[in-house]
Amino acid sequence: MNAVGPVEPGENTYAQEAAAHEAAAPEPAPPARRGTRHRRTAIAAATAVALGAAGLGLYLTRPEPPPEPPPPWPSQSVSVTYTGEMSRPRAGERDFTFAVTFTQASGPPVTVRQVAQPSASLSVRTSPGPPFTVKTGTPRKLIITMHIRECGEVPRNAGLPFLEVTLRNARANERQSYILGPEYANDLSAALSAACPRTRVS
Amino acid sequence: MRQRSLIAITAALTAGALTLTACGSRDDKDKESAEGGGTTVVIGVDAPLTGDLSALGLGIRNSVELAIKQANAKKYVDGINFKMEAADDQGQPSSGQTNATKFVANKQLLGAVGPLNSSVGESMQKVFDDAKLVQVSPANTNPAMTQGPDWNGGKKVRPYKAYFRTATTDAIQGPFAAQYLYNTAKKKKVFVIDDKKTYGAGLAATFKDEFTKLGGKVAGTEHVNPDTKDFGAVATKIKNSDADVVYYGGEYPAAGPLSKQMKKAGAKIPLAGGDGIYSADYIKLAGKDGKGDYATSVGQPVEQLPSAKEFIANYKKAGYKEAYEAYGGYSYDSAWAIIEAVKKVVEDNDGELPSDARAKIVDAMQDVSFDGVTGKVSFDEYGDATNKQLTVYQVKDTTDPAKGWKPVKSGTYTG
Repeated sequence: MNAVGPVEPGENTYAQEAAAHEAAAPEPAPPARRGTRHRRTAIAAATAVALGAAGLGLYLTRPEPPPEPPPPWPSQSVSVTYTGEMSRPRAGERDFTFAVTFTQASGPPVTVRQVAQPSASLSVRTSPGPPFTVKTGTPRKLIITMHIRECGEVPRNAGLPFLEVTLRNARANERQSYILGPEYANDLSAALSAACPRTRVS
Repeated sequence: MRQRSLIAITAALTAGALTLTACGSRDDKDKESAEGGGTTVVIGVDAPLTGDLSALGLGIRNSVELAIKQANAKKYVDGINFKMEAADDQGQPSSGQTNATKFVANKQLLGAVGPLNSSVGESMQKVFDDAKLVQVSPANTNPAMTQGPDWNGGKKVRPYKAYFRTATTDAIQGPFAAQYLYNTAKKKKVFVIDDKKTYGAGLAATFKDEFTKLGGKVAGTEHVNPDTKDFGAVATKIKNSDADVVYYGGEYPAAGPLSKQMKKAGAKIPLAGGDGIYSADYIKLAGKDGKGDYATSVGQPVEQLPSAKEFIANYKKAGYKEAYEAYGGYSYDSAWAIIEAVKKVVEDNDGELPSDARAKIVDAMQDVSFDGVTGKVSFDEYGDATNKQLTVYQVKDTTDPAKGWKPVKSGTYTG
């Protein structure tokens, strides 16, 4: 039989193998595999933290939609113009009427809360009576009745008479003087002079 | 390899996130500092930058500069880089005229903002008009400058096509003050004083006219030299009159001491004036007895205008040490009106300035219309602002002059 059977370890066989192992593998394998696992875990955790931080940063600095701008102050969107149609009172009459138009250029509705005038010798009432609303794109005509309280004190020749209008919207409550211009001044002067002539008619 | 890839991806993501986070602010900074290339267009600004009226003048200059910087940052007119040339008129008509001549000689200069004083403005109008160089004043209020000498009762004729203004005129300011003092403050006898200058005398006249039409009485009148700070004689006359209010047509360098001296003399009545006294410096000069004094000024209070919020924030951000004062918003709008006119002319000429740019800018100015700091900005057939608003202010506090004036009434002219 020339067959080669398993070689039985001889003397020093295990000792030589152990020495050879020692020379070939200076560090034991199992501890080396544990260190790699730790590093991977640490890197994964760091990655997650960094990604989280980046995400949070992006979230915190995300562009926010601009806030809704507040409506303009009511006096900046509402205009009052003299429409004319001033009646001519007779001497001694105490009331006369004229028309104005409220228009709003833009923005949410504005409520007209009061219409007045500055002279103590006059008073006004309006139709429609306040409060009423003015909306963008829908001019509102107002008939004003001027009442003479005291003829002797009326501003019969004022160059720049105006109406005092109290307006309110979501932004503010505001009192604004609307100076209606020379045509209003002339018509008002004529009406007051007609109602209160210098030679008093009683 | 896998670990290295993860690290690289993480680093890239983090860097990307940080870059994105920083993007907004950097973009803004870049925009602000952008100078841009292209053709240079100079906008002149003339105002009293030194002397008694410099508080108002420096507010005008700074506000014009702010408008120019923002136009450049936004590259508002493609291919055009705006620059400012500032000139000091010291409130003197002769200096204003010299500055106007200097502006005209600068071929790059295509528009001018200013001046503060109507008398200075009058000395500049013809110089600019002859050169077809547009001028926009944020502060001249004398009605004759746009409507001719016969504006009150006679025929209104525009004397200079190249002259525009964003301020309301004394044709409204004086009467509005009269209405307020007579009807609301219940003042019935006025002592009227003016400084004999175009602005002061004109304003006092429009006030007196309306006050007497309303039924008020004139207890006395005086003319003073604004360069004199001793008003002892006038103060005594006021005390000896039975006036319940003084109206002064002029500016704060004289009005402040006048208020102080008349009260010291025993006339414990308020002094009222126009936009020329609406300044923190008036309160400094009038002292604590200035409390209760009145001033009208052009426009609605700037702080109440939503359109002014951005201007106020940008002015603060720009770090100017002087306040924008009464005419800041109007000065910004005056400069922006010129910028709008330049834009129109450039766009109508295939993106380039035409050879007759000055004349074309004057024409374009007539049709300018935009939402400015002070509201809608456009001009009527006389070159006056179509937005005619004004406000009565009263000195409520003298401890902090910058915050002493408070609005008590505002009006809108819709005639």
